[in-house]
Amino acid sequence: MASVHESLYFNPMMTNGVVHANVFGIKDWVTPYKISVLALLYEMTTSKISLPERRRLNKLILPLQQGPDLTLGQFLKTVEDCCPQTAYAVKLRLHEMADGELKDMEFFFSTLPTPFTAFDSEAYKTSVVGLFMRHMLLAYNKLSFSQVYKLYKSLQQYYHSHYAKPTDRQVDVPVLAADDSDMDLTSTEDTVGDRTDKEELDTPLHESELRRGPLSQKQAEYFLARQAYLLKNDENKALKPAALQDELNNMLKFNPDFAEAHYLNYLNSMRVQDIFISTHSLLHYFDRLILSGSEGKSNGDEGYGRSLRYAALNLASLHCRFGHYQQADLALQEAIRIAQESNDHVCLQHCLSWLYTLEQMKGSDSSVLTEDSVKMAAHFCLPYLASLGIQSLVQQGAIQGKTAHELMDALKDTDILHWKHSLSELIEISLAQTTSIWRMYGKSTMALQQAQLLLNMSSLEPVNFGVQQNNTEAFAVALCHLAELHAEQGLYGAVAEILLHLKEQFPPHTQHAKLWMLCDLKIQFERHMNEGKYHLAEPQVTAIAALNKTEGLYRKAQVLKALNRSTEAYSILQRLQVHCEKTKCTEMIIRVMLSTAELHWESCGFSTALPFLLQALALARQHHLQALASETVLHLAFTQLMLGVPEQALTVLHEAMEPILAHGAVMDKGRALLLTARCQMACFCGSAAASYFSMLNCKERLRDVYYLQAQLYRSLRQTSQCNKCAMLFRLLDQELQSPAAPISMRL
Amino acid sequence: MKMAALCSEFGDLLQIKKQLISVISLCKERGLVHSVKWASELAFALDPLPKDELPPPPPFTEEDAQDLDALALAKSYFDLKEYDRAAYFLRGCRSHKAYFLYMYSRYLSGEKKKDDETVDSLGPLEKGQVRNEALRELRVELSKKHSAGELDGFTLYLYGVVLRKLDLLKEAVDVFVEATHALPLHWGAWLELCNLITNIEMLKSLSLPDCWIRDFFMAHMYTELQMIKEALQKYQSLIEAGFSKSTYIISQIAVAYHNIRDIDQALALFNELRDQDPYRIENMDTFSNLLYVKSMKPELSYLAHNLVEIDKYRVETCCVIGNYYSLRSQHEKAALYFQRALKLNPRCLGAWTLMGHEYMEMKNTSAAIQAYRHAVEVNKRDYRAWYGLGQTYEILKMPFYCLYYYRKAHQLRPNDSRMLVALGESYEKLSQHVEAKKCYWRAYSVGDVEKMALLKLAKLHEQLNESDDAAQCYIIYIQDIFSCGEQLEHAEVSTALRYLGQYYFKNKLYDEASLCAQRCCDYNDAREEGKALLRQISQVRDQAETPSAELFAPLSNNNTPVRRVSPLNLSSFTP
Repeated sequence: MASVHESLYFNPMMTNGVVHANVFGIKDWVTPYKISVLALLYEMTTSKISLPERRRLNKLILPLQQGPDLTLGQFLKTVEDCCPQTAYAVKLRLHEMADGELKDMEFFFSTLPTPFTAFDSEAYKTSVVGLFMRHMLLAYNKLSFSQVYKLYKSLQQYYHSHYAKPTDRQVDVPVLAADDSDMDLTSTEDTVGDRTDKEELDTPLHESELRRGPLSQKQAEYFLARQAYLLKNDENKALKPAALQDELNNMLKFNPDFAEAHYLNYLNSMRVQDIFISTHSLLHYFDRLILSGSEGKSNGDEGYGRSLRYAALNLASLHCRFGHYQQADLALQEAIRIAQESNDHVCLQHCLSWLYTLEQMKGSDSSVLTEDSVKMAAHFCLPYLASLGIQSLVQQGAIQGKTAHELMDALKDTDILHWKHSLSELIEISLAQTTSIWRMYGKSTMALQQAQLLLNMSSLEPVNFGVQQNNTEAFAVALCHLAELHAEQGLYGAVAEILLHLKEQFPPHTQHAKLWMLCDLKIQFERHMNEGKYHLAEPQVTAIAALNKTEGLYRKAQVLKALNRSTEAYSILQRLQVHCEKTKCTEMIIRVMLSTAELHWESCGFSTALPFLLQALALARQHHLQALASETVLHLAFTQLMLGVPEQALTVLHEAMEPILAHGAVMDKGRALLLTARCQMACFCGSAAASYFSMLNCKERLRDVYYLQAQLYRSLRQTSQCNKCAMLFRLLDQELQSPAAPISMRL
Repeated sequence: MKMAALCSEFGDLLQIKKQLISVISLCKERGLVHSVKWASELAFALDPLPKDELPPPPPFTEEDAQDLDALALAKSYFDLKEYDRAAYFLRGCRSHKAYFLYMYSRYLSGEKKKDDETVDSLGPLEKGQVRNEALRELRVELSKKHSAGELDGFTLYLYGVVLRKLDLLKEAVDVFVEATHALPLHWGAWLELCNLITNIEMLKSLSLPDCWIRDFFMAHMYTELQMIKEALQKYQSLIEAGFSKSTYIISQIAVAYHNIRDIDQALALFNELRDQDPYRIENMDTFSNLLYVKSMKPELSYLAHNLVEIDKYRVETCCVIGNYYSLRSQHEKAALYFQRALKLNPRCLGAWTLMGHEYMEMKNTSAAIQAYRHAVEVNKRDYRAWYGLGQTYEILKMPFYCLYYYRKAHQLRPNDSRMLVALGESYEKLSQHVEAKKCYWRAYSVGDVEKMALLKLAKLHEQLNESDDAAQCYIIYIQDIFSCGEQLEHAEVSTALRYLGQYYFKNKLYDEASLCAQRCCDYNDAREEGKALLRQISQVRDQAETPSAELFAPLSNNNTPVRRVSPLNLSSFTP
């Protein structure tokens, strides 16, 4: 089932799921790269460019403005891909500046269109371009004399470092450069010689520095916001944990006050389950946040106290995620106490929803708490928390066997809420949950439909960083269901494809990978069992047990049963039943009962199997688990057949036949049909025919009847009956003395 | 045995003095002022040499003669901090001396420019990226010469410094070791090495030259690694070997005593130091810390005024003044002076922590957190800052949250009772009694400074109705308090006695109970209860009318419960 806990993590950079990248004010300054971007913008406003090229360039503007500084080579290549002519012009302009004098750069800045006067151009003050230009001009004008000189120096270095390295893209500019700069040829040679010397010695150092220049505050914010978003929605697209850590360390080295980096560091180390670094970064972040809070952005003491509460709350969530429930409990109590003292209902509400989550994780019943939470959340107008609570309640209700229409009603109501407030992640969870519920009820068609609905939905996020579809837990759950549903129908090709997709989307190191791993193992296990390759199924059991202990134990019992090691299987099943009754895992209880009944069959204890089956049937009906109920009915019918009441068995079977044919797995369908055939054979109306024939004393036909009956009973292994008929046949046969004509030859 | 060997090693103090004098002139010519200072201080502590014993000037080569004028010119520019100019005139020189000064000027020029750059860099994120541009080139040149084996002791030292600045620490250690072998008397190389050694295993793995200066290094190293006992031993043997007048050694010993919080010893040494060297500013911040802890207001005030007269723009002076104001409870001013100290040297660790303490006093928790965080960032191993952070959150009533910080502090100082008591208190607030008890008991076991752990433990036991354990703790507490001799302000002997009286009374040990009750009467706050208890006891005795002989009979086993505490021997008490 889709768990609903994931989205409870408080992320200070987001409100209602929207990332606010620029909440820290404008902090930007001129770098050589920015000058190149300015040159590009300048070219775009002044020169004539064909429409398709202009369109491509326009699409470039935002990423170029927001992204980290590129090297000149990278920058020129990107521009060249869109419009070679502009790239050349930009190159020329940069060349003018870099190979000229300081005044050329100053001249360039003075020729830039001022956003305040150019009313008609794209560079008007309110446009994206205009804003960028204003930032740059402002930053440039603020520079002191030595800073301007330094900027010019770094521009020269930026430009020349591109050409110093022999690249495979030998464009026409080197020729151009050679024309002008023959007078300081010696000096360039000197530096080049120096550089190779240096590179010999410390290439690794050099390379790493080239790769990441310092980020400006704005670029850093954009980077953090983007990575945080990707971590939440599509972990694959985010940087690898180690690479991200490197970037963050780099960022923090250059600016230790950049507290948000610590938060991302915390999220990142959570990915790799590193409790030490994540705790450290979390606390560090909040220590920092407390400082910035006191600076008075959010009215003084209030902002400061607020971050304290959320600090404790986040600590609780951290411990919760690492499974330290006692620690989490203590931290949560602390958060609750501080929130209560300062009358912060919103925070209290967050705490409450964490409290019930914690209770749930500990395995105790928390529906009362959850209900309270939902009521309070609704009262304080917190739709997110309210519907999260309802979803949690639905999940609990489904497990406890609430009636289906109640659950579906509740889900429908929350759905309305979600669409109204466009809480996209809750919509996803809701769909995944519906899938799970339908699946639990055994309505495979409905489950299939809901899963498809989710998978075909495109992302609803207001800001998406090139993410078409989110890679959240909801999707993983839906895809797993899909795979299992296909496996049930024996479509193993499709299953393999789905699993491949899952593997790509959720690589093994990510947090939702366990879902598909378990699903994959289960499918393989079933397949081996169906094919009768028990020795292949055995290794799967240990793997399953590693992911889910209960499931592993159940599968182990199944393998043991198949290998005729009944005593061991029986003891495991008994243990399992006790455990499941404690944890109220109804589905598993029913399955365990069915398996126990099967064990009884093997020792021919058909009558002892009956109470188990009846109990299982009652449970399944009570919880509306149709698939399991049908399976139980199959078991029941078989037992009845074996007990010699095929008529009863047939009537019971007829009841289950319809749902099995409509929703059941291929395996169940087959078994049901076979059983029906056997029952019908057992009820064979031969005895009635025999009585008619005996009335007429039609001995020849009577002999045939006895023959057929004997054959049937033998195939049903009812030896005593078989012997009786065989004897009657023998008596008649001896009496008649004539060889029997083939039965099939006459009516 | 070891001592004897050391003495024989130092037997020739005359020789040492000669070596010092020659190294002083060598360093002076090269502008290595700190090493000159150290060697001169040490040389001053030894007896002066007779005229004919003075060491001969170092050999003068043909190259030296050639470079003489250029060197003199460059040295004068160097002394005037015109490093680029000095380097320019030295560029063609061949002698070792000139080469060192040439490279050293280039290095210092880069450092100076780096410092200037930081002021107007192109943006805040670039700030951390400003570096000494000369380092790279220096490294290339020096490494070439190094592999050719052309470097002498001084240039090796410079090469090491360059490597360290480039964060190539492993290589730097190797080069510094080489430098100490080439020129053992250059203290700067030893000091740099000291900064790079992080643990005792690393220290043991190095092969260092066998020279008398090595003992100074080892002693310094032990102090740095908080192995105070070994350090004190080393310094003691150095004093016995003839360096008894060295202010350097005295100051080092004083700092060592400060680190193990032997306050009286440290104070005595610092006073001696000030007698010998009244204008000394180094280490005076440590001295002021000691005075602060002892609440010696007049002495601290005198020290502060004295230092201001000497030089008011020194980090140490600012710290002393900060401490002075803090002791006078003028915390705003104190914080101001610590801020000033930090402006003078942003990497001054002590000032960040002390400023945090001041903000704590002013109840400005967020500023305190900021200060402590900075301290931790400068040095992750600063246990005081971690402890301070813990305290701040404790004040904010977040006992669970502060656990993390206390744990950090405890990790760094596993045998410091204060952290353990703080941890215990937090656990107690979280109702984690088992952990709390463990912490208190451990705090007592490692030697409780504030004598609070046992009292807290006893009270905890009392709360949990574990009366036997509580009584046991109170008994040890009382013994502890009286055995340490001096009167502690917050001592709660009366509480302990009161509880013990009641405890013995309940267990029908009337003799002990009455003894405790009598003792209670010595304290104002427990007098009434003591008297009441005495009355009760006499009542009970009257009722029982036990023969007096039995009263004084030794305790027999028949009326003692299994876990009964043995009767208290109060005869040793002298309240």
